[in-house]
Amino acid sequence: MSAAIADQLPDATQGEAHHSGDVVLDVKDLSIAFPTEEGVVRAVSNLTYQARLGRTLAIVGESGSGKSVSSMAVLGLHNMKRTRITGSIKLDGEELVGAPQSTFQRIRSRQVAMVFQDPQSSLHPFYKIGDQIAEAYRTHHRVSRAVGRARAVEMLDRVGIPNPKRRAKQYPHEFSGGMRQRAMIALGLVNNPKLLIADEPTTALDVTVQAQILDLINDLRKEFGSGVVLITHDLAVVAETADDIVVMYAGRLVEKGDAKEVLAHPAHPYTYGLLQSLPSPTEEQEELKAIKGAPPSLLALPPGCSFHPRCTFKDLVGERCWTEVPEWRAAPGLANRQIRCHLEDPVGAIAADEEANRG
Amino acid sequence: MGDTPLLEVTDLVRHFPFREVQGLRMVKANVRAVDGVGFTVSQGQTLGLVGESGCGKSTTARLVTRLDTPTSGRIVFEGRDITFLKESRLREIRRDIQMIFQDPYSSLNPRHTIGSILTTPLKVHGLHKGREKQRVKELLELVGLNPEHINRYPSEFSGGQRQRIGIARALAVEPKLIIADEPVSALDVSIQAQVMNLLAKLRDDFGLAFIFVAHDLGVVRHFCDQVAVMYLGKIVEYGDRHGIYERAEHPYTQALLSAAPDINVARGIAPKERIRLVGDVPSPIDPPSGCRFRTRCWKAQEICATQEPPLIASTNDQQSTGGRERGVHLQACHFPEVKTDILAEVETPA
Repeated sequence: MSAAIADQLPDATQGEAHHSGDVVLDVKDLSIAFPTEEGVVRAVSNLTYQARLGRTLAIVGESGSGKSVSSMAVLGLHNMKRTRITGSIKLDGEELVGAPQSTFQRIRSRQVAMVFQDPQSSLHPFYKIGDQIAEAYRTHHRVSRAVGRARAVEMLDRVGIPNPKRRAKQYPHEFSGGMRQRAMIALGLVNNPKLLIADEPTTALDVTVQAQILDLINDLRKEFGSGVVLITHDLAVVAETADDIVVMYAGRLVEKGDAKEVLAHPAHPYTYGLLQSLPSPTEEQEELKAIKGAPPSLLALPPGCSFHPRCTFKDLVGERCWTEVPEWRAAPGLANRQIRCHLEDPVGAIAADEEANRG
Repeated sequence: MGDTPLLEVTDLVRHFPFREVQGLRMVKANVRAVDGVGFTVSQGQTLGLVGESGCGKSTTARLVTRLDTPTSGRIVFEGRDITFLKESRLREIRRDIQMIFQDPYSSLNPRHTIGSILTTPLKVHGLHKGREKQRVKELLELVGLNPEHINRYPSEFSGGQRQRIGIARALAVEPKLIIADEPVSALDVSIQAQVMNLLAKLRDDFGLAFIFVAHDLGVVRHFCDQVAVMYLGKIVEYGDRHGIYERAEHPYTQALLSAAPDINVARGIAPKERIRLVGDVPSPIDPPSGCRFRTRCWKAQEICATQEPPLIASTNDQQSTGGRERGVHLQACHFPEVKTDILAEVETPA
């Protein structure tokens, strides 16, 4: 790269300083519904969470829990003619619910970027990788093609793609799955956004490559100081990469707290059930402790707590579980933990159940 | 043991030939998907095939069910060579060998009712004549579905329920061996455990043998007696569950195990020392000479490029097997070594 071009390139870590710990994404009381012929699909109800700079927030849930739908709203990816969004999404202080498309065009990539599950279908097959990254850069920076290209090569290098100059001139099909996901991350970070949303970024990858990509996201978060929202169903991935966690079930938050603490000592019966259902890496079990039943249809959520039909603790509470939606409250006896459950002493109830299982 | 194994596979090879333009010439080449794989499965036993995408585990599964025909090698089922059995005679083995597929959405015909999906195998094999409907209801009950749903279509069921239908279909003909290709990987976590429990129960109740193909090491450990680790069309390590998970000797097995994220980190247990493999799996069109893993291996030396390490009995035997009888343990590495430090058993705090 010539010296003249190099001069025009900002150091990727510079730009506006990212203050670690600041709230970058503030979601309050967000509800998203899709009216359909068969009724209203309530994909997300009263969701509240915050993502902070320099930290990784994991959003955990099964398919249909609303974890992807809520993140798509942050980037304005829903068709507003068919979607009802209420509540508030503040990105760096700017309200995004009800914002016009022009706002989203301005913030996408510059403020918030997304890495999707399937890098095969989220890169354009007809354009060279380098050109796609350069385009994203030049959309937000008034620089020449040469500078854009140099920036693309620099980013590919940053995400650990060997021989980036040659690779920039290749097409997506010439990349392997892991390399493609690296290129997606380069594309996401090219404008040094404050928030990176990674939607199941490693689900389509092999386990040895998954480890590489998770390391990369972690390293880049530290280096760039961005906030990361990691959407995943894999609790082991959360254990190793996330700082904070929110657990969703049928469109609602059920538990929120410090990632490691939640996984070590869950306070909501659903989180507890999920953890119980994993095959233990250390002990041999005759039978896995499955959560019975299946997640409810979002067209017809059960009354009261959405999890009550599958919950083994509902007898401890009784009627309120199926008549009254539990309020979002601090979990008794735990610092920095919120749950949506009627149990008076969830920690004690879960401990008792664990004890019973052991005995 | 002593009696003949249910299934005996020797030196199985499957190459997919293709033509490619190189410069001005047309060149013939092969994707060497499976390149000399051998194993045995006894009655009631469960063999897990693990490895990354492209290692040939699914192709191996398809060859054993004879949904595909091998290039060479031998597949013997109950003493009978079925390697190149003619299409017209395949029906005879289909009664004994059945398959469960990964994707419960594309493996059930959306235009057929559950009743018709489950009756078809009975009719094809002439089983339970005259009381097919009764048998279908029994099957549905067996896999935990409501027998009254016999007239519903696949679209009316959830992913987990569909996988149960797929399992019922495999069981319909009372097979001896079931090949399950990633049977739970498309399912949600809370549903995975239900289906795994169902498979384990059926295995025990009917004495079924399984070949269980999966990339999820935790699931394989839970379900399988024997485990074969595959890399680029070959088995690199084979042994019983304890041997593979606690005393792996092949560098690739060690890397695979250490790459899997570990939930125990949340319980305050320090993460395992990570072996980070560099790069991706090489192309099976032109695999590396000698040991196929050498391009990503941290132990590779000259001999690895020139000599292919054979799959042989492990020599590091008799070290602390915890009082268990040590079964056959095979590995294919020039420098095998038990690395207990990374695979050290983590203890769950009370």
